[in-house]
Amino acid sequence: MDILQALANGFGVAFQPVNLLLVFVGCLVGTLIGVLPGIGPISGVALLVPLTFALKLPPESAIILLAGIYYGAMYGGSTTSILLNIPGETSSVVTTLDGNQMARQGRAGAALAISAWGSFIAGTLSVLALMLLGPLLAQWAIRFGPAEYFALMIFGFSTLSALAGKNMAKALLATLFGLLLSTVGQDPQSGMSRFTFGLLQLEDGMDFLVVAIGLFAVSEVLMILEDKAPPAVQATVGRVYLSLKEFVFSLGSILRSSVLGFIIGVLPGAGASIASFVAYTVEKRLLGSRARFGQGDIRGVAAPESANNAAAGGAMIPLLTLGLPGSGTTAIMLGALVSLGVTPGPQMFQQHPNVVWGLIASMYVGNAMLLLLNLPLVGLFVRLLAVPSWFLVPAVLAVSFIGVYAVNNNPFDLLLMTVFGLLGYLMRKLDFPLAPVLLGLVLGYLMEVNLRRALAISNGDVGFLFSSPIAVALWVLAALSLFAPSLLSRFVRRGALGDDEI
Amino acid sequence: MPNPARRADRIVGVLLLLLALGYGWTASRFEVGLLSDPVGPKPFPYLIAFCTAAASLWLILRPDPDPQWPPAAFWLPLGLVLGSLVAYAYLLVPLGFTLVTTLEMALLAVLFGARWWQGLLAGLAFSLVVYFLFTAGLNVPLPAGRVWGLR
Repeated sequence: MDILQALANGFGVAFQPVNLLLVFVGCLVGTLIGVLPGIGPISGVALLVPLTFALKLPPESAIILLAGIYYGAMYGGSTTSILLNIPGETSSVVTTLDGNQMARQGRAGAALAISAWGSFIAGTLSVLALMLLGPLLAQWAIRFGPAEYFALMIFGFSTLSALAGKNMAKALLATLFGLLLSTVGQDPQSGMSRFTFGLLQLEDGMDFLVVAIGLFAVSEVLMILEDKAPPAVQATVGRVYLSLKEFVFSLGSILRSSVLGFIIGVLPGAGASIASFVAYTVEKRLLGSRARFGQGDIRGVAAPESANNAAAGGAMIPLLTLGLPGSGTTAIMLGALVSLGVTPGPQMFQQHPNVVWGLIASMYVGNAMLLLLNLPLVGLFVRLLAVPSWFLVPAVLAVSFIGVYAVNNNPFDLLLMTVFGLLGYLMRKLDFPLAPVLLGLVLGYLMEVNLRRALAISNGDVGFLFSSPIAVALWVLAALSLFAPSLLSRFVRRGALGDDEI
Repeated sequence: MPNPARRADRIVGVLLLLLALGYGWTASRFEVGLLSDPVGPKPFPYLIAFCTAAASLWLILRPDPDPQWPPAAFWLPLGLVLGSLVAYAYLLVPLGFTLVTTLEMALLAVLFGARWWQGLLAGLAFSLVVYFLFTAGLNVPLPAGRVWGLR
């Protein structure tokens, strides 16, 4: 009953006219970002954060907007995969396999419709699961002390390192680099400056937005410049229509992939890209010779598209209940919430019910909105691809300059952004995953604070970190995820994914 | 190729190892005040430095094959973009948002295959729209240009 009451309040928040408008804007912008190759959900969310500050949005409205972009991008990513064989996002890479085959057989409309319906069903189910599991997990996690939190973060970072990217050493180094960046600036407890090289501009540390926009948006521009723009393409959509028979035929795949995607989304490091890939592989194995995967089987579209939307919902669980984002996009949401004075974590369900339940309710609304938006308007979105990249790319970059400058009204941040842009480009070339850097940067402060609190309680005795059963369990899990990656890689063939956008 | 070159990762590994050492050394020179908590500002950086050093050794021992580097002709546009971004940061406040953004967008547009006048026009139109949208519409202050006597 509690949940229903809270949800009713949440809908009260979500149905405020401003928030309804923001859900709509978020879903629309998210879909556009999804459709356009080259702008990923991380850059998209990072670019919109300054806008939420500028508009002085309350935290619940800000997170509603940002989440809308996130799951909206999962909808949009499939469109170009199906029509043009160009994935709009890394989470839609596998959708090209059967989706584009279907388009070539003249069934583009059905492919687009099943991806919209699959996304809708998976999205709604994952919000339902978030709603039921979130409060339980939060209640459990509220008893966590600093030692447990520290162990939890170690666990988070080791799964992240095991799952993000192909080479674990590189993922680990990316995480550590992010943690290293988080220590730049004034030490909050002793007040001394660390690693600032005497630069006043670094006293407050590096802002997550500057790093995010540099690492993702600027380096994306450099990558597009190297590849040369994809040619402008004309695509015909036809009628977006799905027969009831096809729908029922795919329902099993949609439901199984929703569950799978949700679970994978909850895990740190394994985001929507891996979820879509695993769901596709699992369905392929499960259905065996009864399916014609790779030759335009509609379930080959339904599975990954359901899974990536479910993963976006699942990713909200660690963010909202533990305050620990598992992906680059949710890391930016965490940073934005903290800037707005809301610290995500187990207390949030009690201290800021408006934010949590408003977000959950808005996700129901947003998923319905996306379905209504996508079924009739896909053709319109595709026409956006005709905008030449010589206009689009510089325009995106110009907006990101404003975002970076507006953080502190200081052009120094633009220099920092440029440095991270080059770094991001080199990291992409050398196959270092980017998202762990952002996660390390955003979480490093919390990790250090918890370590210091724990050791302050125990008066410097390191054994305290391993003193409770929960902490020990988390340490064991962390070790397992680091040292048994071959176990996972049997299911996740990491080589096939360019998964810097988890 | 049975034995592809694996130089790049080794170089990166060595650089990261040096970074870890320099970082740890810098941390060791922090002067901790008397009133500091029992842990102080040093151990967390030490932990990071140690793990980074270990992971970079791992990378040096187990490098991936070298990536496909872009052709030499790409370094010019890459340098132009990065150089122009640095210039952008320095010129933004003196020359103002609209002018520098127009120039930056025009340069990028040309690099992406547009004609220079297309880039200039599109850049000017877009920067003006965005400038007024943010300053007048959203109350985000953007530099108007000091050399023009504007704020």
